Amino acid sequence: MLRAKKMNVDYSKDLGSDTEELKTGIIIENLSVRFPDKNGGDPVEALQNINLEIKPGEFVSLVGPSGCGKTTLLRTIADLQQPTTGTISIGGLTPREIRLQQKFGIVFQNPVLYEWRTVRRNVCMPMEIMGIPKPERTRRVTQMLELVGLYNFGKMHPHELSGGMQQRVGIARALALRPKILLMDEPFSALDEFTKEKLHLDLQRIWSKTKKTIIFVTHSIQEAVFLSDKVVVLSPHPGRISAVVDINLPRPRGLEIKDTMEFNSLVSKVRNSFEGV
Amino acid sequence: MENGYLNTEAGPLKINAAGEVSTKKARARKKAGLNKDAVMTVLYPVLFGILVLVLWQTQVLHKILGTDTFTLPLPGRIINIIFENVPAILKNVQATVIVAVGGLLLGSVLGYFLGIVAMAFPKWGSGGISIASAFTAVPIVAIAPILNNLTKDLSDDPHIRSMLAKTLVVMITCTVSMSINAYRGFTELKPFSLDLMKSYAASKTTIFLKLRVPNSLPYIFTALRVSVPASIISALVSEYFAEFIIGVGRQIRESIVLAQYATAWAYILVACAIGILMYAILLIAEGVILKGRRHR
Repeated sequence: MLRAKKMNVDYSKDLGSDTEELKTGIIIENLSVRFPDKNGGDPVEALQNINLEIKPGEFVSLVGPSGCGKTTLLRTIADLQQPTTGTISIGGLTPREIRLQQKFGIVFQNPVLYEWRTVRRNVCMPMEIMGIPKPERTRRVTQMLELVGLYNFGKMHPHELSGGMQQRVGIARALALRPKILLMDEPFSALDEFTKEKLHLDLQRIWSKTKKTIIFVTHSIQEAVFLSDKVVVLSPHPGRISAVVDINLPRPRGLEIKDTMEFNSLVSKVRNSFEGV
Repeated sequence: MENGYLNTEAGPLKINAAGEVSTKKARARKKAGLNKDAVMTVLYPVLFGILVLVLWQTQVLHKILGTDTFTLPLPGRIINIIFENVPAILKNVQATVIVAVGGLLLGSVLGYFLGIVAMAFPKWGSGGISIASAFTAVPIVAIAPILNNLTKDLSDDPHIRSMLAKTLVVMITCTVSMSINAYRGFTELKPFSLDLMKSYAASKTTIFLKLRVPNSLPYIFTALRVSVPASIISALVSEYFAEFIIGVGRQIRESIVLAQYATAWAYILVACAIGILMYAILLIAEGVILKGRRHR
């Protein structure tokens, strides 16, 4: 009873969906990233001439086979990788400025939890770095753990949790910062199908409550179509955008939508957009 | 649609209930398993030790080794000597423990600091660390006289002089293993953990304090598991060469020179006890400090 009550609390204010600051649209122009070849040969073209616009509050997936540069694109947006040419503008600012303002929340392929910290203290960690006062930190950790359904696991250490639970801790940690932009790099790729579907629904719920801009990297077409407003299809050698598919399925989406004609025709449309695979 | 949405709300709660039960069970199982293992790992060596003691006391061991009770005194006699000479033994134990622990602490702190330096200057840091590891090959027997000479003018009191020299020997032994392990602890980070810190715009100091230092803790204990026994051995050996005659190691040597084998064995037993005690303290500290981590 108490739990059910807690679940119905509206987090939209606490998650930082401050409408007046919703200028976090992303404009990528002529972006290229080249990596020098280790053996002294020609540099490897990871991304070539990327042009993309992402609206504020949009859920965008980057989908493509291994080596198509989708992770590189995400890392370049996050300022973890420098572009060779071209620009990225996030609400008029550079990725570096956004990073230094601590506006990014990132979820990586593996949860990257610190094994020496309990679940609570893992979620707390970025807030400690940002110097958020302790009472506020405690409040937000509790909220976020409730949001991802791990409230009773706060005192445990990461290795005592299952892979799916660890990944949810990672999501809670990213959200606790109230980031303007949530960047997710194949966050569910290591999970089993059942856990994955649960987390898809959870993520959709969190996104609909917080209205953050989410960029989601995946190699699963179904996952991309199910979650996104827009699917960006990348093709490899060199990494380039071969199509942008709008997903106009109604929200909130339940799992049964995967059996509909519209869903499957969108999946086919994305699949047919790949080049040179 | 609405239905699917409601399911999501219930979803995590279901996992919670199931997850909680299974982890609790797993924990209980782990605990029981650990206890059984722990009992076995203690029981077998103790049984073996008792067997050796019985063979020793009944002089079967002497027949096997072809020796007599003068060269290898009986355990009962050794224990008697220890009880008859408690004050003298304690004085020597104190000297040895001060040298071993003092050198261990100084060397470990210096080694950890060298690890930080090597991490801060990665270009020559890892190379420097491998050169440092070459120092472990230099035997204590060679270092001890050099340090005796070095500390000659530091104090007028020969006791203090030789304590310093001995501590320095132990320090050198302990520095190397700590510097290598600390460097590894600072640099062998989980994939993406540095990226995560960068994404928070964390400063180098913050990354050091919140990521590298905690990450290095298990590596500190790896180093100490080598250094603690090494510190006692080098304390004992350095006493052989010291100017001032004190310490468990020195008493072993003096007694053997005077053919007082029973006294020598009494001190050998005491030396073993010091080693076991220090190692036990280390293991307990490790258990407490690394509690909650998967890897020991």
